[in-house]
Amino acid sequence: MQLVLFLCASFSIIALFLMLLFVVREGFFALSMFGADLFFGHVWDTNINRYGALPLLYGSLIIGAGALAIAIPLGVSTAIFIAEVLPFSVRDLVKSIIELLASIPSVIYGFIGLTFIVPAVAAIFGLNSGATALTASLVLSIMIIPTIVGMSGEIIASVPKEYKEASFGLGATKWQTIKNVVLPISKQGILASIMLGFGRAIGETVAVAMVAGNVARIANPPWNLLAPVATIPSIIALQMGEAAVGSLEYSALFGLGLILFIITFIINTLADMVTRSNLKGSMKG
Amino acid sequence: MRENAREKIYFSTLGIPLIICMLAFFWIVYTLSTGATTLSWDLVTRSALQGGMFEMIIGTIYLLGGAAIIAGPIGVLAAVYLVEYAPNGRLTHIIDQAINNLAGVPSVVVGLFGFTFFARQIGLGISLLTGWLTLALMMLPIVIRGSEEAIKMIPPSFKEAALGLGATKWKSISSMTLSAAFPGIVTSVILGMARIAGETAAILFTSCVFITRGLPKSPLEPVMSLAYNLFIQITVVGERSQVIFGMALILFSIITSFALVAIILRTYYRRRQLWLR
Repeated sequence: MQLVLFLCASFSIIALFLMLLFVVREGFFALSMFGADLFFGHVWDTNINRYGALPLLYGSLIIGAGALAIAIPLGVSTAIFIAEVLPFSVRDLVKSIIELLASIPSVIYGFIGLTFIVPAVAAIFGLNSGATALTASLVLSIMIIPTIVGMSGEIIASVPKEYKEASFGLGATKWQTIKNVVLPISKQGILASIMLGFGRAIGETVAVAMVAGNVARIANPPWNLLAPVATIPSIIALQMGEAAVGSLEYSALFGLGLILFIITFIINTLADMVTRSNLKGSMKG
Repeated sequence: MRENAREKIYFSTLGIPLIICMLAFFWIVYTLSTGATTLSWDLVTRSALQGGMFEMIIGTIYLLGGAAIIAGPIGVLAAVYLVEYAPNGRLTHIIDQAINNLAGVPSVVVGLFGFTFFARQIGLGISLLTGWLTLALMMLPIVIRGSEEAIKMIPPSFKEAALGLGATKWKSISSMTLSAAFPGIVTSVILGMARIAGETAAILFTSCVFITRGLPKSPLEPVMSLAYNLFIQITVVGERSQVIFGMALILFSIITSFALVAIILRTYYRRRQLWLR
């Protein structure tokens, strides 16, 4: 029986390994054609069969950064507020609503973004089309706030009560205690939650495909959030249906999948390490 | 505890983001609920060939159910291993990390993998079965983590009682710990189902088509689903009518009812488990 249980547990390793293997296998054709250009080439154009992921990488990163810029302040302060200020009686209810926010599917976020936020952005900034990097960042930020709130909330709530009481005992106010005791102890956990949120933002597909405009080009200037962009996952989702199996385009899309896999793998592993060091640190302290 | 007026202001400011989140949630619920006017029993039960949604709704439920049947048992057994059997060593650490990493793989990559591995390499084609396997991969980490938590909550004295009577380790765990943890385990499976019910990117190239003649007759046939049809209607067909709101509302209701049941069950059992200790 123990062997069966062990096999079930190691399923995740096998799945990850197979994923990497098969994505690399299918992407090999494009990789051998373009080499490093597949990752860092400037042109992604189906018409001339050139596939360089840099514009998409740019799109993913700028949208992810924009979403974080909104979600970090909102998410972290929400987490602090729930854990430290909100009365115990409503805490579970509020947490549940945040969790429901997380379970709204991305296709619905995309649809609502397309129906309301896209026209709003167009009207506010006087653009022809409101499908821009900013729009995608706004939609994504709402989608990743629950991730940040959920995890940093748990970390903040797990700060030992004795630490806070010691601080109160020294005459510190509640605000000072949060700032000087709670936050420094939980900062690594909060960092990990932000990293997981970023990982989710980078991998988000359907909602972004609906609101980002899907133009595979680096905006000029690059920090212009009001230009349409395409991201790695959105291009995979939009082009996979048309790409003939075995074609260069098909293979290049798997190359994109490989990039995404590597990025999220690194982010998750780092987040894991940060959480672990946080656990060790607070035990020592 | 000293709390002066300035701090009151600080804390109130801190609460504003929470209010924004709550407002966003209720606004989304309100917006979707306007789709209710387009819905009727007739529309929901009419075949998609005649403009209804029947096959999409049933297809969504088929996809969910199958994925849960695959990921549920594997996830629970994996959780039992991790909590009750796993030695505290390097391999366990790697398994642990692999589960976290699997949870973080973007759904579109899981979809790519499902297409090349299940649909083409194994030869299952674009089918319900391919969708089940692909979605099960996404559900697995959620089920494992939830079941782990549920199993850890059961006091060791439960299985020790059985061990003391001479039962084997597995017998004690399965008859005592697992049955006590059962509600928590079910909760984690339901939560996993809620998380994948609206999943679009993973089924985009693995199991769905825009229109079928009736429901799939075998697991090897493709299936329709609400999420997939919403995505295609909006991005490819360019449909913007009120009917879309109706479809989105049904999808939202299915997911929210799953999530709500899971959250309520979990809150209830967490409180009860606290009493146990």
